[in-house]
Amino acid sequence: MADEITISIDGVEIKTEPGKMVLEAAIEAGLYIPYLCYHSGMKPFAACRMCVVSVEGGRGLPAACTLPVQDGMQVRSETDEINETRRGVMQMLIADHPNGCLTCHRIDICGPSDVCLRHVSVNDRCITCPKNERCEFKDTVRYLGMELESPLEYNYRDIPLEVSDPFYDRDMNLCITCGRCVRVCDEVRGDAAIGFIQRSGRALVGTSQGTSLLESGCEFCGACIDVCPVGALVEKDHKWEKPRTIQKSICPHCPVGCQLDLEFNGEGKFIRAVADINSPVNKGQACYKGKFGLEFLNKVTPIKQPLIRRDGLLEESSWEEATEFISSKLKNYNGDEFSILTSPNSTNEELYVAQKFGRLVMKTNNVDQTSNITPELTVGLERALGYGAATNSIWELENSKCVLVFNTNVTENQNVVAVPIKKAIRQGAKLIVIDTREVELTRRADSWLRPSPGTELLLLGGILKLLVQSSLHDVEWISENCEDPDTLYYVLDSIDLDEVVAETQVSLDDMGKAAELFATASSGSIVYGLDNLRPDLQRGCVVSLVNIALLTSNVGKPNSGLYPMRIGTNEQGAWDVGCVPYRLPGGRHWADEDAKNEIESAWDCVLPLNRGKQATEILSDGDLSGVKSMFLIGDSPNFTNGGFALGYDNLEGLEFLVVQDSFMSPATAVADVVLPRTLFSRKDGTYTNLERRIQRLGQTDRDLKGSDTEANALSLIAEKMGYGNFSYQNASEIMDEIASVSPIYSGVSYSKLAQQTFTVFRSGMDNPKPTQLLYSSKEHRGLQWPVSDQESLGTSVLYQESFKTNNAAWVTPEYNQESKSTNDAEYSSWLVPGRVLLQSGRDTKLVSGRLNHLERDELAQIHPLMAKEANISQGEKIIVETSQGNLPAIADIDESVPVGSISVTTLFGQLAVELQESEDIDPMSKVVGLNILPARLVKN
Amino acid sequence: MIDGLKERIANAVQNQSQPTVTILSSLLAVEDELGYIPKEAIEQVSDLMSATVNDVWAVASFYPNFRFDPPCDHQIEICWGPSCHIKGAMGLIEAVLDGVNLTEEGDTPDGKVTVRYNTCLGACAQAPVISIDHNLIGGLSPLQAKQRSVETMESATTHDMDGS
Repeated sequence: MADEITISIDGVEIKTEPGKMVLEAAIEAGLYIPYLCYHSGMKPFAACRMCVVSVEGGRGLPAACTLPVQDGMQVRSETDEINETRRGVMQMLIADHPNGCLTCHRIDICGPSDVCLRHVSVNDRCITCPKNERCEFKDTVRYLGMELESPLEYNYRDIPLEVSDPFYDRDMNLCITCGRCVRVCDEVRGDAAIGFIQRSGRALVGTSQGTSLLESGCEFCGACIDVCPVGALVEKDHKWEKPRTIQKSICPHCPVGCQLDLEFNGEGKFIRAVADINSPVNKGQACYKGKFGLEFLNKVTPIKQPLIRRDGLLEESSWEEATEFISSKLKNYNGDEFSILTSPNSTNEELYVAQKFGRLVMKTNNVDQTSNITPELTVGLERALGYGAATNSIWELENSKCVLVFNTNVTENQNVVAVPIKKAIRQGAKLIVIDTREVELTRRADSWLRPSPGTELLLLGGILKLLVQSSLHDVEWISENCEDPDTLYYVLDSIDLDEVVAETQVSLDDMGKAAELFATASSGSIVYGLDNLRPDLQRGCVVSLVNIALLTSNVGKPNSGLYPMRIGTNEQGAWDVGCVPYRLPGGRHWADEDAKNEIESAWDCVLPLNRGKQATEILSDGDLSGVKSMFLIGDSPNFTNGGFALGYDNLEGLEFLVVQDSFMSPATAVADVVLPRTLFSRKDGTYTNLERRIQRLGQTDRDLKGSDTEANALSLIAEKMGYGNFSYQNASEIMDEIASVSPIYSGVSYSKLAQQTFTVFRSGMDNPKPTQLLYSSKEHRGLQWPVSDQESLGTSVLYQESFKTNNAAWVTPEYNQESKSTNDAEYSSWLVPGRVLLQSGRDTKLVSGRLNHLERDELAQIHPLMAKEANISQGEKIIVETSQGNLPAIADIDESVPVGSISVTTLFGQLAVELQESEDIDPMSKVVGLNILPARLVKN
Repeated sequence: MIDGLKERIANAVQNQSQPTVTILSSLLAVEDELGYIPKEAIEQVSDLMSATVNDVWAVASFYPNFRFDPPCDHQIEICWGPSCHIKGAMGLIEAVLDGVNLTEEGDTPDGKVTVRYNTCLGACAQAPVISIDHNLIGGLSPLQAKQRSVETMESATTHDMDGS
């Protein structure tokens, strides 16, 4: 803790720390100094001069946002001189911003249809501004007590509105050039998709040559909208709606678990989401999914009551009747003929009840979550280190000196994880990307290794060998913390580096450079996924990555470690509470005798003896692996986004299917019973994010009884089937039960989570403040497991004391020479898709319309050798054929692409347009990943 | 598009001899080579400097001396710095504009002459000064200036009005 110093502002003494600026200290103390360009979380800019103050004994009027605090400092913010200066500054600002209403005393009583006696033009009226009633600028004008008549002549810029980009509307006539948006895009997001253009009196915010956001490299995260103090940048949807209630929630779209403040209007309609600035998870950031992908909250669902299929038609019924019907049916499918599949966005409590229902009532281990399609992601990690979860917290990546990103496209799938990575790069950290695909992060990589698909494991073997060969490993640390690594060294000895180079098509130099970058950095983190990895390589790759981290002593200390990139929102929670076939509550192995005994005595039952089947096994298998009835929860996006392509077809083979969902889907179309399901925003419970942080979804207690949650539905059915121990009043009770049977959750309770809430700002709604600040005066820290007892406040870095079983184990895969062909006679090459924000040197045509579209020739990049073999020359028209369709493209010969791969890269802007235009209820949950496919090249 | 445009830009930005290479110096190098900054140059400079196109544009659009479309065949610059102003620069401005048939600084529609005002051409002793294609001419009377500009206009190659 830094030294505490005291300063006074207008006679009010406040305590603060050295290094802070006066404005920062004032905001934290709940004192108001007007400001427009400053925003928490960004460097001070001192552009607007609104926060000028005077200091006793100092000269002039410095800006409080760049004035460092000093002990005993006497700051004055409310003198006549200062107020006069501020009003002078404001007069200049409002000379360029519509101001007729800003200074008018009728502003609060004027309606849209009122005739303005002062002849303020319609364009200039606040009532026609989307930011009306939540305009920080207007509030600041009011605070300063501006005169009705300004001495400076008002100049309307008359710039056409930009309303053709997806999700965004931009009106640069309202811009006050505070630069928050430019800075958040550059400083925080690392994208610089917008910048200042022109200079002096004409300076504005814009893009290179005035292009659309689609062409400027925008990732549509909405950060600029969240910080805009005026109506210049606003969300396209519900632009004019006024928020009446604000609800804290957690984004249901990915496992980062971003805290969002949801705005609802008077009728309860969802308007927009604002990323919570005090969230330790996202620090005021969100992404295209969280910011613009919650529109489904407003969709009207036909599933209001339980529906039972009679004579082929779904008919409305009651909960009583439906649960009775389900229980009578399910009695016939005891054991492994039954399977329960939960949703990626089920809460921990619901997942717990679901797996308890499966194991206790239905006596089967066939419990799984539909997003759990790559269980290998953490199995190797757990075996080596002890826990199957990220070792460190997301924002530690910011201070990491080297980040290795392996086969995962975080910018799209777990977007906010990319924010600290990009920040780290700005601060000089090195980035290594191992991925055949060209993804957003590759352009920032110091080393981008593109192995031929199928040789990823061999490449990791090569890197490990180089680490040891060049003595880049930390021998001392290894001998203290790990078991004897002789087996690993022995296996590495047998790797032939020439063979690795030949197979992976990554040069020895590149491999060596990556190994050196990672090993010589004072701290290194590994962010990994299993995208496109062959199933037989998955575990090997994971343990190899663990071995890289261990060899370089990057486990058990801050700013390092391993981050498995899960897919489902609460996939971590499903593993923790046992809602996957191979895990019992507490994340313990299903055959672990101690764990079994504990749970059997807690539930008073005998746990099923058979190995459970995963969702993938059941749904990708034509005969459903013997499963005859199923309870399916949620609108399983993995059915459509590639996880199990045949999933829906296979559901038809079931004898009895219950679907609990918020909306109609292809699954409800074949269901025998359809139950309504509460949306995430209306239920209570916890999510565990990918950094093991248990966060409460809402902050309000809700009754479970009578709700449309799966926990309630399953409790009712269990009771009908004669099981009394499913009677829960609320989610808190379920969490208490989870804590009693899960060692890693032992100290978790709702009261403890409530204690983890801290007041950060003493902020009232009466001060003109940025929306993000008005909404979040509190920090909800949550708890990072393991929370071993009542006193424990969680663990942000795992293995700091020691590994779970004293020493870290080495799990050594076999680094076999792997076949690089696709094992497919018809399609002998790979189509490697990529997606980036911008691509230089490519002609892209913007088709403007109501919504802008991008048009350009597809370039298929191939290696010169491949081009020669197929007799294809640069610029020639070709067709890339795959089993899923043909893609006409223009050949681009490029040496960086491995032989045997055809690299095709699309723009993120194209995806954004698709998502904006989608008619789907929840398109953001179905963003198709970048899947490598077997393909072949044909001349056009 | 000019033939070999990309190569010329690449040469210009990559062969900068000064020790500090910045976005601004790269843009100046392109302007020196081509006389303007084409869209391709914005992209190439952004690649070279690891900045985004928007960052490069922010710098480029800040300076009024950069142009973003190909310049005309000839450039006439008229100094209107204090010395030249006292010595009658306004008269020269009117005369030159009259000579090339423009009403304010800019390009002639036929692409022959670009007229620009300059705040100082650095030859105050010879005021009033104009420069034609970077050759300074001092002590001109308005009549001479008009004549010079008409000659410049006439010496330009005839342009196909649909092209370039």
